[in-house]
Amino acid sequence: MTCHDAREQFSALVDDALATEERAAVDAHLATCADCRRELQRFRDTVALMRAVAPVRAPAGFVDRVLEAARPAPWPRRLLRSLFLPWPVKLPMEAAAIVLVAVGVALVYRGAPEIQHSALVDSSAPAMRQTAEDTAPQAPAPTPSRETDAMRATRDARALGKAKDQAPAFARAQEAKEAPEPQVGAAPAEKMDKNVAAASPPATPQQPEALSRDAEPQPTPEGRGKKDLKDLQVARKLEAPPAVDTREREMTSQYLRSESAPAPGARADAPVAPRAAPSVTGSSLAFVPPDVSGRLTVSDRDAVLRGVAELVARLGAVETRRVDTPEVQILELTVPREAYAEFVRELARLGRWQPSKEPPELPAQVRVVLQIAR
Amino acid sequence: MEGRTGDDATLVDRLRRGDPRAFEDLVIAYQHRVFGVALRMLNNRAEAEELAQEVFLRVHRAIGEFRGEAKLSTWLYAIASRLCLNRLTSGERRMTRQGEETLTRLASSEVGPAEEMERSELETALHRAIAELGEERRIVVVLRDLEGLSYEEIAAALEIELGTVRSRLHRARMDLREKLERFLP
Repeated sequence: MTCHDAREQFSALVDDALATEERAAVDAHLATCADCRRELQRFRDTVALMRAVAPVRAPAGFVDRVLEAARPAPWPRRLLRSLFLPWPVKLPMEAAAIVLVAVGVALVYRGAPEIQHSALVDSSAPAMRQTAEDTAPQAPAPTPSRETDAMRATRDARALGKAKDQAPAFARAQEAKEAPEPQVGAAPAEKMDKNVAAASPPATPQQPEALSRDAEPQPTPEGRGKKDLKDLQVARKLEAPPAVDTREREMTSQYLRSESAPAPGARADAPVAPRAAPSVTGSSLAFVPPDVSGRLTVSDRDAVLRGVAELVARLGAVETRRVDTPEVQILELTVPREAYAEFVRELARLGRWQPSKEPPELPAQVRVVLQIAR
Repeated sequence: MEGRTGDDATLVDRLRRGDPRAFEDLVIAYQHRVFGVALRMLNNRAEAEELAQEVFLRVHRAIGEFRGEAKLSTWLYAIASRLCLNRLTSGERRMTRQGEETLTRLASSEVGPAEEMERSELETALHRAIAELGEERRIVVVLRDLEGLSYEEIAAALEIELGTVRSRLHRARMDLREKLERFLP
């Protein structure tokens, strides 16, 4: 063992921490090396100095301060701390702020139909185009002027509407009578017939909402806003050729809804768009709910239109209103009760007549809405 | 010496049972040793008291986690050593190391000005020599030569190997021998 090796063991030797063999080897070296013996003594003296250092004492009052710090804070302070610690509070306050703003916006929006209406008009034109393309990709691209005319027709009808209290009853009667037909994802059309809507899978997310609102006799301001939207959807769908059945029903529903909606002045003054596709003609735009409505499926529409015109003239009936679109014509006629039976017989000769509403008791002048389509 | 093993076992039992006096007894029994380690390591009385208080508060919160495999004193030393080393290696602490030379005169802060005048040059030199050791060597020599822990207890407290304890202690003592040369007989 060298001196270096021996001195490396001094610390353990002082602490008596050497194994027997190690201790023996160090002792053997120390027995022959005076320098290492001297060095070991210095090492022992150094350790002795260290161990002689006076122990440190904790400052006075240390125990009391520790006990005070360890004692749980009084419950009011703990409560305040839990309430006002930075991060647990920050997040809920931000969330609460967002909720407050959202509720405020919703309340303002609900309380101001004009805002809803203007927002609707601003966004309607591009939205209409896109939806028409979505729902009827084969259809020719509708022109904005035709779309907006439908909107205007709807607005005019609403502005001049009468017999408001009859509309909900009529709508319910219509729902009860209409035969189930395939639906083409049109909420307003499905809204017309609750039975159909219930039997077929919902085509649009808005459907349940539309149904529930339909059951209310008096439309709320909010309901009116939604009705505007639906009117626009109806006008939009008139431009989509494939969905003929649905569109016809929509036209009828448009009549019903526009009639039932009150006509606030602000709405009557709304900006009027240029002429649009379905041309509305008639002695008056005023609308009275029809006593009879139905669909006349024909092969030659022009011929049938002529036939109906002759029929009207022959039976002493009056055509009060007409909506023409490339795919469907809607005629509103007033037929004398005594001539009604013959009118229906003649209709059945002109095409396949499917009445969706035909009450057992007819008034003296029967108002008929006729949807003529291929 | 306070807090012998038998007493520790009783104390731990009382602490676990929630005896309200047990924690006070624990602080009374170990306050000087914990504070001593903190002061030797940090060389600042205020900092040492703050750290010692933190040691006891941790014990107070975590007494349920003490498994009793080690001695209660070893557990306390382990907590104190870890907190000291963490603080010494933290960036904040390193910023203040510049003026530590004056802090090595810890003896002067332990006694009044009059007593300081009477303090031996040897004692001052001892404290300075300890303070000038590296943290890892210093904690080993403090635990061994000032607090009297065994190699095994030091290894357990610092979570290092026995061989590491032995070599660090040897290097620390060799450093001290060099520094204290002129005081040796």
